[in-house]
Amino acid sequence: EDVLLPAPQNISILSTNMKHFLTWSPVIVQGETVRYSVEFQGEYEREYANESWIPICECSLIAATECNITEDISATVAYNLRVRANAGARRSDWGTLKGFFNRITTSLTPPLMKVIADGYHLLVELEDMGPAFQFCVLYWKKGQESRVQQKVVKEVNSVVHLDTMEAGLDYCVKAQAKVEAINRSSSFSETQCVRAQGGTPVWL
Amino acid sequence: GELYCSLPNPRNVRFESVNMKNVLRWSAPEGTGDGVLYKVKYSVYGVGKWIRKLECRNINRTWCDLSSETSDYEEQYYASVKAFLNGRCSDWIETARFNPLTDTKIDPPVVSVSSTEKSISIILTAPEKWKRSPEGESVSLLQVYPGLQYNVSVLNKKTKKRWLFSISNNTLLVPWLEPGTAYCVSAQIHVTTPLLHSGFSKEYCISTLKDKVA
Amino acid sequence: GPCRVSMSMAEIRSGFNAIKANIQARDPIRNLSILSYPHSLHKVKSSERCCITHQLFTFYVDKVFKHCRTEDSYINRKISSIANSFLSVRRNLELCHEQNKCVCGQESLGKLKQILVNYEGLNVTSAAMKSLGELDILLDWVEKES
Repeated sequence: EDVLLPAPQNISILSTNMKHFLTWSPVIVQGETVRYSVEFQGEYEREYANESWIPICECSLIAATECNITEDISATVAYNLRVRANAGARRSDWGTLKGFFNRITTSLTPPLMKVIADGYHLLVELEDMGPAFQFCVLYWKKGQESRVQQKVVKEVNSVVHLDTMEAGLDYCVKAQAKVEAINRSSSFSETQCVRAQGGTPVWL
Repeated sequence: GELYCSLPNPRNVRFESVNMKNVLRWSAPEGTGDGVLYKVKYSVYGVGKWIRKLECRNINRTWCDLSSETSDYEEQYYASVKAFLNGRCSDWIETARFNPLTDTKIDPPVVSVSSTEKSISIILTAPEKWKRSPEGESVSLLQVYPGLQYNVSVLNKKTKKRWLFSISNNTLLVPWLEPGTAYCVSAQIHVTTPLLHSGFSKEYCISTLKDKVA
Repeated sequence: GPCRVSMSMAEIRSGFNAIKANIQARDPIRNLSILSYPHSLHKVKSSERCCITHQLFTFYVDKVFKHCRTEDSYINRKISSIANSFLSVRRNLELCHEQNKCVCGQESLGKLKQILVNYEGLNVTSAAMKSLGELDILLDWVEKES
């Protein structure tokens, strides 16, 4: 087997909001299409399965220089990743990611959030960030920052009811995304405030 | 199978389960038309002894209710069907392993709604687990799935705005609504462990009473 | 009990559901269960739950997954995902064990011994594949108790 092809370089991970991508620089071979194959190795494979590697078939002989490895990085352990170039019958050595990747390092962004006042009702709509996510929503009467209330919301893309509001008062809301699988949360979103409908009703 | 068992096999043999009413269903063997009869047997996984279901012996229908035999949802089961026609028979054809706890479908909750001038009150009732007889002890699916929650959708028919509530107990009061307005409510059951959810119930609509002052 | 361990059961459960029918279909032995014979896990005293959970996760990591390689790459990837999740959960349980919050009593030791007898009563590949096919028995029990 002749190994003239250079191994892929600049192998790195892009991981945001529990979506993980392996990327690398293209291997240039004049007049030939270079294709790539990716494999992963979890901590289990290293310690209990003779350091075996597992191919990702969606990223087998692909032309792109990026592979979505989210489906396979599905445990909170250290993973090794490697990619190899193929051109015709020729193959490169494996290029291996420097250091391990553990999904616990994914970067978490605050959720997109829309706060709605509908009459005397405080509502929130949160973006769908994926099955691993739930949201911690904090809300309070403007000026009473010390009396914050909290609600854990799992529903996305729906107008979720938080609470009823006192007539004419301003209520403020902020939310953070939480991933139980890695026991981490994003920073809070910008605070949004809305005003309850004015009017005569008084709490009985 | 030997020549005697040269009848084509029953097809698509599987359990269909709703609220742990566990019914074995299958399709008739290909190209056999009328007159086919069937026998059914079942076994508890790990015990393995096949037990004939007497009430489903030489039946011509293509289902057999095994709810009673599979009511312990801490066990898992197999069932099997054999077809007979004009002295010929098929092989015994088995289901996949059936786990009543995770393989059942759950009906939506029953929703009852009442209203005052400015509020609606919603009471949800989770479906019951299948029981042997109407007099039998009722077991709510709430007892089977302690993590059971409800998602409740409330639609303001005037503004067309829909709100979603997620609650653990089975009652919900929505205060400070508009008098003389129609609201439609539907609800869904959501279990997190194991992950199961019902569809949403049909909509139950009610109007808040007219404002006496107005 | 005192041992509070975050276990992302949902991911393990979804990984197993994706391969359950395939794996269970590879197990023709109906009259023996590795985990439930002769007594169901549900009969275990809750005071010994932590120990049995820890020991069972260790059993799967040490003995089962490595003998479950199949000819199907999709199945192998899902098994890897489950195995690595088990490793992660086992590590958390280990902390409890070291802090003496996961004490093993006679009952759990007896139950685990029976499981190993059941396991060693079959050839290793059949035993491993059967154990993997019984993962929902373990998950149902762990989730019910949590």
